[in-house]
Order: sequence, then structure tokens, then C-alpha cells
Amino acid sequence: MTTTTPGIPPAVATVAAPTATALVPRRRPSRGGNRFAILLYLLPALALVTLFLAGPTVVVLGLSGTKWAGIGTPEWIGIDNYTRLFSDPAFLKAIGNTLAWVAVGVLIHTPLCILVALVIARRPRGWKVFRTVLFLPNIISATSLALLWYFVFHVSLGLLNSALKLVGLESLTHNWLFDPTTALGVTMTPWVVYIGFGMVLFLTQISTIPQEFYEAAQLDGASTLRQDWSITIPLIRRAIALQVLFVVGYALRSFEYPFIMTSGGPADSSITLSLYIYRQMLTANQYGLAMAAGVVTLAIGIVLTAATFWVLRRTER
Amino acid sequence: MSAAGKTFRWIVIGVFTAITLLPLLWLVLSSFKTQAEVFANPFGLPSEWHFDNYSAALTAHPMHLYLRNSLGAAVLATLLIVVASLMASYALLHRFRLSKATFGFLLFGILLPVNALMTPIFFLVNMMGLYNSVLGLGLVYAGLFFPLGFLIVKTYMDTTPTEIFEAARIDGAGFHSVFLRIAAPLASPGAITAAIFLMITAFNELLFAAILTKDTAAQTVQVGVRYFLTTYAANYPLAFAATVIGMAPTVVIYIILSDRIVAAMTAGSLK
Repeated sequence: MTTTTPGIPPAVATVAAPTATALVPRRRPSRGGNRFAILLYLLPALALVTLFLAGPTVVVLGLSGTKWAGIGTPEWIGIDNYTRLFSDPAFLKAIGNTLAWVAVGVLIHTPLCILVALVIARRPRGWKVFRTVLFLPNIISATSLALLWYFVFHVSLGLLNSALKLVGLESLTHNWLFDPTTALGVTMTPWVVYIGFGMVLFLTQISTIPQEFYEAAQLDGASTLRQDWSITIPLIRRAIALQVLFVVGYALRSFEYPFIMTSGGPADSSITLSLYIYRQMLTANQYGLAMAAGVVTLAIGIVLTAATFWVLRRTER
Repeated sequence: MSAAGKTFRWIVIGVFTAITLLPLLWLVLSSFKTQAEVFANPFGLPSEWHFDNYSAALTAHPMHLYLRNSLGAAVLATLLIVVASLMASYALLHRFRLSKATFGFLLFGILLPVNALMTPIFFLVNMMGLYNSVLGLGLVYAGLFFPLGFLIVKTYMDTTPTEIFEAARIDGAGFHSVFLRIAAPLASPGAITAAIFLMITAFNELLFAAILTKDTAAQTVQVGVRYFLTTYAANYPLAFAATVIGMAPTVVIYIILSDRIVAAMTAGSLK
């Protein structure tokens, strides 16, 4: 598929929907009456995308150069919002933390997903039950999970400190949520350990690998580990790229865990870009500034997405 | 496979199963205890099962209103997206100038970090007079999640053999009747998959629900659950019970339909 689509690099459509146009009926160009009908059928979809995605994207770009308190005419101030943003320590912290989410997602979360997928793909006894159980957190709202882990890390009655006391490691108990050195890690923990979504993503891809590959490798005396490393991992690189895209997307949206577990604190140590925009908008009513922060978020998203595709294309060569 | 390899395999499964289930189990057990017992006996079964924690949590919060709003917004968004996706997928079965550009435009938001758009969407909803309404929230969800649902429905409809449409046309079926009698019904498994995915995604959304609502007229379960923390700072078992109530709707549905849901939640990503 060689569509050049506005906004998405062409390869996205290839990764996301390889079969999308494969079976499109080849028809003679539609007659005039049909053309009107086609437009009519596209209208609801076009309206939704224009109103809530494309329109707001244009607005956020335009108004990010203005000073605006929500009423009256926005006043054009050029790049002032951006200079203010980049001299705000909280914003720099938010960018750093968001990039830390990406790094942890790519370097820790994704390998864990692959590890569990490789284990479950060998179909040990009861693998279906384990798959179902491990996917469970993905259907519970992040809000509820954030509350759960708030309780787990709670200083006095939390599961973690109680468990440490039980095994005699009282010296390791900690005020996890309110210590600037642990708060960021604590807000990432639930996201890192719930590997269900990535696991299913990789399992789906692994199931398309012909069994003969493994049989041949076995005849050659390759160990299971060797088979996983030399056959499975190279053949699921597309799923890995897709998982990285999801990680980037999630990191840029991460809101619930810091919002509920720490409110971004203490001293902004666990703030993320989403939370920063939310604060500028609802707490400070700095709408122009909030939109400029939105534009920076979009820009980071575009750069990281492009980088993912660049790496994928290099490995496919 | 070597014994060491087997042991390692079960360690991996054991660790991740434990980390998934133990905190949830601890939460459920603690929700039946008294505050004192949570401290004194954090791991055991409750010495006495305090079901009244649940009735107290339910009386203190208008859970039924939150649930009504969540379901209202999720159902509205799901219906809008599924219908719009079916229609657009059908229209895109026909080639026309700009058909590829249209497809690209409709999918353009799929990789967008939509939280970057929270400010313009907040003002858009205000200007439409839909702030603090289930309708406004449902419409916003319909827009934000449209690309995800559309991709699932379109991928499915594209697998329908062309001959079926050709045969119907030869039999004299027009543009609309091919859609209503053939294209849409044949794509219904894809539509159902998309609907499951969209219902769960919309039901679980927090950020936009938080910025677009202000009271029980439109606040959702996810927004309401947040208040549990501040309300019960002094009585944690009640907060635990409230959290369990917040998780219950999707978990119950998952227990009934798990295979279907696992397939649906990952349907948009790999085919």
C-alpha cells in the first residue's frame, strides 16, 4: 500500500492495516448520482473527524501563539508562550518525566511483554487461563487501578510496606508516594507490570509463524532459547514497532496514575505533559500556554513516531 | 526442554500472575474489614465480613447516576462511531478521486496524543452549549475514538468478496440497498468487535470526563471514583469498597466474555 496520507507516515497504514485496500473492488468510475451518494455516506465520519480531531489540531496550532484567558479576542504574542514554557521548571520536568515514561516503556515494559509472550506461546499447561488473567487489568479503568496502587504504596496500611514488615525488612519501608525520589517510579509501576496488552499483541503475531521453522530448528539441535532469539524475535519486529508506538502514545497521554496517586507531586517530581496541560488550563486558566504545551506534546509525538518507523525500516532492510 | 528452562518458565508465569492478582485480592479482602483490622491483620481473611462497607459506600455516593452517565456517553459514542464507520467503509469500497486522501484523513487521529487537544475541545464543547452534559461527552468520545473503531470496521468490510456486491448489483440492487441488505449485515462481526472495544474504552476514560463535566448531571464513574479518596481519608475500608465497586462493571463483563474481549481489545492493532 503506497497511500500518502496527511498526518500519518505511509508506513503507519501498512503496519496498522496491511489488508486495507487489498480487496477493494475495481469498478468503473462512479456515475454522477453515485458520487453524491458516496459523499452522503462519508459525511458523518468526516464531520466527527473534522469537528473533534482535525479542527482542534488547527485551533491548537493557531492559538498557541496568543494570550487568551478564555473570553474576548485572543491577543497575538508570537512565540512568547513557548519562551515562557521553556523557562518554566515544571514544564521541563514534565517533558523529562514523559520521556522517562517512554524510555521505561520501551526498555523495561516492552521486553517484559515479549518475555511473557514467549513463555505463553509455548503453551504450558493452563496457558489460556494465564492469558485471560494477565489481560484482566487492561479492561479495568486506569482510574481504579491508580487507586488500587495508591493503596498498595500507602505508607501506613499499604500492601507493600505491610509485606516488607512481614518478611522482616522493616528498614526498607518507605513513604513511597510522598518522596520525590520514588514518586515517579511509583506512578509508572502499575503500567510497567501490567503486560497483558503487549503480550496478546505479540502472541497474535507469533501465531502467524509457521510451525515448520521451529521443527527445522529443533532438528538442527537449537535450544528453545535459541529458537526464540533467532526465529521468533526477528519475525515479530513489526509487532514490536507497533508496541513501541503504543508505548509512545500512552506515555504522551499518561494522566490517570500521576493525577490520582501523587497529583504530580511532591514538588512536581512525577508531573507529566498531560497533567501540566490540565493544570495550566483548569487551575491557572492559562489557555494560550496550555495550547502551546499541547503543540509541544504533538511535536514530541511526531518525532518519536517518525523515529520508530525509521528504526523499523532499517531493521527490515 | 531443560529442567532449568521449565523452572524459569513457571517463575515468569508465577511472578506476573501474582503481581496481577494479589493486589486485587488484597483490595477485595480488605474492603470487608474494619479499619483496625486492616492494620492488625493486613493479609488474612476478614475475621468478620463487613458487607455494610459496601452499602455505606453506595449511600454516600450517587453511584447509579455516575453509572447512568458513563453508560449513556459510552453507548452514544459507540453507536455513532459504528454507524459512521460502516457508512464510510462502504463509501470507500468505491474508488473515486481523493478516496485515498479521504481514508488518510479519517485515520489521521489514530496516532495523535489527543490530550494535546484538551483546551480547544473544552472550548468547542462550551460553545456548543454542551458543557456538563452526557450528550457533549458522548460526542467528544465519538470524535476522539472514531479512528480506532473505523479501522476495525473497515478492515473487516474489506474482506467481503467483491463478487457478492457485483451479484447484488446485477440483480438490480441500488447503492443504498446494497449497503443496507448486504454490506452492513456482512460486516456486523467487525462492527460488534469494534463496539466491544469502544464501549470499554469510552467507559474507562477519565481526562475528558474530568474537564467536560462538573456535577452528577454528567459526571461518570471514573470521575466519581476519584472522590472516594478524599471522602474516606479516615476510613480506608470504605474507600476500598468504593474502588471495588468502580472496577466491578467491566470485570463482571470480562469474566463472561473474556475471549471475545481479548480479541476485540487488540483487533485494531494487528490483522
